Amino acid sequence: MTTASNEKKGRSRIWEEFADPERRTAYYMVLPSLLIIVIVAFFPILYGIVLSLTDSTAAAFGSFVGFENYVEMFQDPAFLEGLSNTVIFTVVSVTLEFILGLTIALAINRAFRGRGLVRAAILVPWAFPTVISAVMWRLMFQDRIGIIQYVASTIGIISEPILADRTLLLIAAILVDVWKTTPFMALLLLAGLQVIPNDVYEAARVDGANVYQRFFQITLPLLKGAILVAVLFRTLDSYRVYDLFYGMAQRELESLSTYVYEGVRISQLQFGPGNAAAVFIFVTSFLLALFFITVLGMRTSAEE
Amino acid sequence: MTPNKREGIEMTTRRKINRRDFLKLGGAGLAGAALLGASGCGGGGGGSGNLIFSMGPDDPNKTITKLIDKFNKQNKGEFQVTYREMPADTGQYFDKLRTEFQAGGGDIDVIGADVIWPIQFAAQGWLQDLSDNFPESEQQKFLQAPLEASIYEDGIFAVPWFTDAGLLYYRQDLLDTPPKTWEEFKEMALTVSQEAGIPNGFAFQGSNYEGGVCNALEYIRTHGGDVLENVTSGPVIIDSPESVAGLETYRSMVADGVAPEAVVNYTETESEPVFGDGESVFLRTWPGMYGDIQGGAYKLKGEQVGVAPIPVAPGNESFSTLGGWNMAINAATDMPDEAWEFVQFMTNEENLKYRAIEGGYIPGRSSLLNDPEVDEANPIVGLAKEILLDNATSRPVTQFYGDMSLEMAEQFNAALKGDVSPQQAVKTLQESLSSIMEQAE
Repeated sequence: MTTASNEKKGRSRIWEEFADPERRTAYYMVLPSLLIIVIVAFFPILYGIVLSLTDSTAAAFGSFVGFENYVEMFQDPAFLEGLSNTVIFTVVSVTLEFILGLTIALAINRAFRGRGLVRAAILVPWAFPTVISAVMWRLMFQDRIGIIQYVASTIGIISEPILADRTLLLIAAILVDVWKTTPFMALLLLAGLQVIPNDVYEAARVDGANVYQRFFQITLPLLKGAILVAVLFRTLDSYRVYDLFYGMAQRELESLSTYVYEGVRISQLQFGPGNAAAVFIFVTSFLLALFFITVLGMRTSAEE
Repeated sequence: MTPNKREGIEMTTRRKINRRDFLKLGGAGLAGAALLGASGCGGGGGGSGNLIFSMGPDDPNKTITKLIDKFNKQNKGEFQVTYREMPADTGQYFDKLRTEFQAGGGDIDVIGADVIWPIQFAAQGWLQDLSDNFPESEQQKFLQAPLEASIYEDGIFAVPWFTDAGLLYYRQDLLDTPPKTWEEFKEMALTVSQEAGIPNGFAFQGSNYEGGVCNALEYIRTHGGDVLENVTSGPVIIDSPESVAGLETYRSMVADGVAPEAVVNYTETESEPVFGDGESVFLRTWPGMYGDIQGGAYKLKGEQVGVAPIPVAPGNESFSTLGGWNMAINAATDMPDEAWEFVQFMTNEENLKYRAIEGGYIPGRSSLLNDPEVDEANPIVGLAKEILLDNATSRPVTQFYGDMSLEMAEQFNAALKGDVSPQQAVKTLQESLSSIMEQAE
């Protein structure tokens, strides 16, 4: 009932909108920009979705096959491996980065001599292009010249070659990602920390709140916005991981993105499932973002 | 309070209208772009008296550039050849060509093509059939294996240019005669490395990539197995006791400690220095390594190194996986005659010899393998002559070799690591390769 009446209202609204010549002109004036947005942002996505519903190859547009590509994709062990690797990688690395990043941000938020230098210095790993750091770390993990492999086998933690084992490779990739992007997390959280006014802490101290109370009652709630932004960025970023995996292990570490690449660029027959996986990444990323915004209450603009 | 709330509802309805508009507009845009896409096809060929030749980066002596200059001088005024340098990474070069072909032929006329490409491209109709210009009498002057790898259905789609094959390098200063069988080989690798105090017996390319396919194929074939019935066609026959035996030997290189455990992620880059710097008794790699050793790139000296055929299981012939480069012509070229003239020029005896001597490549013409001048400048040619002539065999190249290779690389690597049994690996491959072959029909 309510929906129907809402719809009716909606329809009469359109009429009203366009009946008013001034408003109509306004619509005409924003139309070009809307068109550009549609072409630039939505067309590639729609095109990808359409492609994933056909049996197209890289060479020719095919006919409509419904969700066949998606079925094939979910049956492909390579895709499932990519999915599980990606999920493990995202959850573990973002959690570690958040904990470490928050610690670092709290540590460098106070005034001390050389603070600017320290802040710049911790950003160094983040400034490396991911491919470069991936290849660099691969060399360090390598069996003949790799320092990490050497140390690990000398003290007896790991006897087998790190790069030869997929589980060890995934752990290694997580560590490299943590090394590389913790500074980014720290920086975003630091920005959030700096806007918390000092008076709040002073008032809390006067009221007798201890360190933990101040952290959990003041810092965390006031930092929530910054945390959500930082964690969402990192989550989406690591969910799309490609360069790190490929640079470190080529085909040995499958992620969702490497699966797409293999299907669309290397294989001649996996184009459909590859495209389906691309759409899958887009849709799931979108849902993730939606989850952050609606369920966790992330603010997307300054209103409220 | 109430007016504000109403305003809120209106806001959301208006947003809904917009979203619907977006979708409609999106549909229109989609249709428009599909039209654009359809009209964008076709075309191709260089035109305007200019021929484009594509190949990876030139060698340090710039032999490709010099030969093209020579050719252009001969044809002054009529037409010119331009050298388009492609990525050194073979996979990227392939991807680039494929993208150009898919976009309607591209503007490249003559293609320097990896030995596994002509069949894949020819199956798509992207290469010119050279049968009329390249009769059997002429074909016989070239090496058999790269020729076979250029034949698709009844046509021939490339001319052999330079060739490559897997070789067994050994330490001549540590052992007198190279091993014939895999058993002898393993025994020797273990004892000699122990006696000489060398950390490893053997190094090769075991990673999950094309090179890993090349290595594993040699084990399967030297045990009497194969992937396809007729090298580049026919039903998949990999699920055989012979293939299983081949992969068992392959796995034993790691399991018995003949090669370091890390060999499962070795490519050429990692494996060659192991041998070159004296850390293994044996190495399986390509002919170019010999020139690198002679050129002083490693600790070993040329005289310490010998080359032998890949060992066999008793009663079998030796096999080496074929590599190398061929020359092919784009089907969409505007200047087929000029393109053929250029291919002939690059692959004639004189110019092949020039590039073999100056560039250090192994020429694709049989006569040049016996040429004393080539042999002197490029000793690996003399050393590996029989292997190149008799043992080199193409990979099981078909229309969808790219997909077959992905499957094989994965399974061979998993079998080498011991993650799957050789039996399981060949069973999986029998199934997946058969289904790929079916799609080719």
